[in-house]
Amino acid sequence: MMWKLAWRNIYGAGLRSIINIFILAFVIIGIIWMEGMYEGWMRIAERQSKEWECAGGRYEMAAYDRFDPFSWDKSHAVIPLSLQPLVQKGDAVPILISTGSIFPQGRMKAVVIKGIPAGQTALKLPTKALADSGEYIPALIGTNMAKSSALNKGDIVTLRWKDVHGAFNAADIVIAEVMQTPVMSVDNDQLWLDLNRLQQMKDLPQQTTFIVLKSGVQAPPNVPGWRFLTVDDMLADLHEIMQTETKQAYITYAILLFLAMIAIFDTQVLAVFRRRKEIGTLTALGMTAQRIILLFTVEGMLYAVLASGAAAILGMPLFIYFGTRGWLLPESFQDFGIAGFKDPVVFEYTLGMVISTLVLVISLTAFVSWIPALRIARLKPTDALRGKLR
Amino acid sequence: MQDILIDIANMRKDYPTGESWFTALRDITLQFKTGEFAGIVGPSGSGKTTLLNIIGSLDVQTEGEVTVLGKRVRDLTHRQSASLRSRELGFIFQTYNLLPVYRVYENVEFPLLLLTMTEAQRRQAVLDALNWVGLSEKVKSRPAQLSGGECQRVAIARAMVKHPKIVLADEPTANLDTENSHHVLDTMRTINQELGTTFIFSTHDQKVINYLRRIITLVDGKVVSDKANGG
Repeated sequence: MMWKLAWRNIYGAGLRSIINIFILAFVIIGIIWMEGMYEGWMRIAERQSKEWECAGGRYEMAAYDRFDPFSWDKSHAVIPLSLQPLVQKGDAVPILISTGSIFPQGRMKAVVIKGIPAGQTALKLPTKALADSGEYIPALIGTNMAKSSALNKGDIVTLRWKDVHGAFNAADIVIAEVMQTPVMSVDNDQLWLDLNRLQQMKDLPQQTTFIVLKSGVQAPPNVPGWRFLTVDDMLADLHEIMQTETKQAYITYAILLFLAMIAIFDTQVLAVFRRRKEIGTLTALGMTAQRIILLFTVEGMLYAVLASGAAAILGMPLFIYFGTRGWLLPESFQDFGIAGFKDPVVFEYTLGMVISTLVLVISLTAFVSWIPALRIARLKPTDALRGKLR
Repeated sequence: MQDILIDIANMRKDYPTGESWFTALRDITLQFKTGEFAGIVGPSGSGKTTLLNIIGSLDVQTEGEVTVLGKRVRDLTHRQSASLRSRELGFIFQTYNLLPVYRVYENVEFPLLLLTMTEAQRRQAVLDALNWVGLSEKVKSRPAQLSGGECQRVAIARAMVKHPKIVLADEPTANLDTENSHHVLDTMRTINQELGTTFIFSTHDQKVINYLRRIITLVDGKVVSDKANGG
């Protein structure tokens, strides 16, 4: 009965109801749209990170500390016996890591030098370009690195590095390829060389710092002196950054919800004031104050229910468009240091996301409808019938 | 012997006015029996509406006893007084108090929604009530599309649809012209005679007074006369 009565009142309220429903629908669409974007961004960032960096996880030298470049000179070893068959089959990719400097256009720039087999296929890096091609050492860099060091494909630049004996050496390298990678951690300040070449340069034959497993390859357990990072371990930073981004989005949701709830609250306060004679009449007809409060609360909730329907109708083209064509995130999103911004982010919507948004909006609407309706309990029927509100 | 539906004994009603109290009703002792067509008559501010509100359990007396259909008004909980109003009492207001977003049918049906009745029972009761007041053709109209007289007849149908024992009519003709007033009063008198429903009016309208079979005159909150009338 309450829903029927509430529907009649909302229908009878005309334009005011339409405005409230549209405001709430806009909020629902906005929240689901943003959640879809973050979900899609997360998925594409995970996928691209796996393709370009993580693959099936990696072993790294126990002494390696990614935050301490001084540890890197000590973080190398011969490929362990248990992993050698995988490396030989191409199911694992050894990577040697070192620090160095380049001198583009007379400036010095610190770089991370990574040696990787030119023929590897486990990662999406276009390492074929690293095959020895003559006079200069071929090197691979990403577009960000190219931009920050003003280098282009074919440019020759001097590279300085320290070998295992502590001696500084220098050689000219040629930029064999500038790769378009969406993963910043294989681009920013990274210089990729052929593994054999780097091992020669460092005088570290057969030595490696990481061994990256191809996707789907089972990691042999307990390799002494090495620790294994699963894909989830490697994506932990990404998840953390995305969580921070999502928390920032919650502030946007809260602002949107707050504005919508003000509209509903105002409507309900006005309704209690404007309809006090009706409240008196309902009391005279035999409704208890609790039922009248429930009626007003249900009316408020019905706004949210109708807004859910309106959001489904109005938002569907938007959701479908962004869920199929995707959205190329603005350049400024690069600052987040997360993969996924170079390809259109295809929005992902989950049932849980939609249900939780609707439950949140409907619950909040019910609550802000209920608060002003509580005044009804304090309203004397005789005053209400006379149109008085105390 | 007719049943006593309403028994009021030594009733007083005070209202706070700032730091003092205003006595709206004093020394009221009255009884109303089944089938009465009675009116509480008096000038504005004499306490007519207050008395009607207390009988209707919309308000509570300050002193004395008010018993309606065997129930002491003062002892009723909110839920019990709501139940009394929804089952046994009908209200008719000066300004009709129809629910503007509802159609005539829905306005009349409303009190039945608070009772346990099937849709078919409700439909029959609503159509019967609209038939009594001669508005069967207006079931789909909204209150804004009706004249004042028609609105008041819808209000009568709404009050009568649940077959209450008592109908309380507060200045029912105050907003109506002479022709509509007579039409409305004729309708109420017919219902009173055919169904035996007790009608209690508050009024100072001579047209209404002429219809009453009992006139209780209130002046400054006191009953100054209680006499039979030709009706």
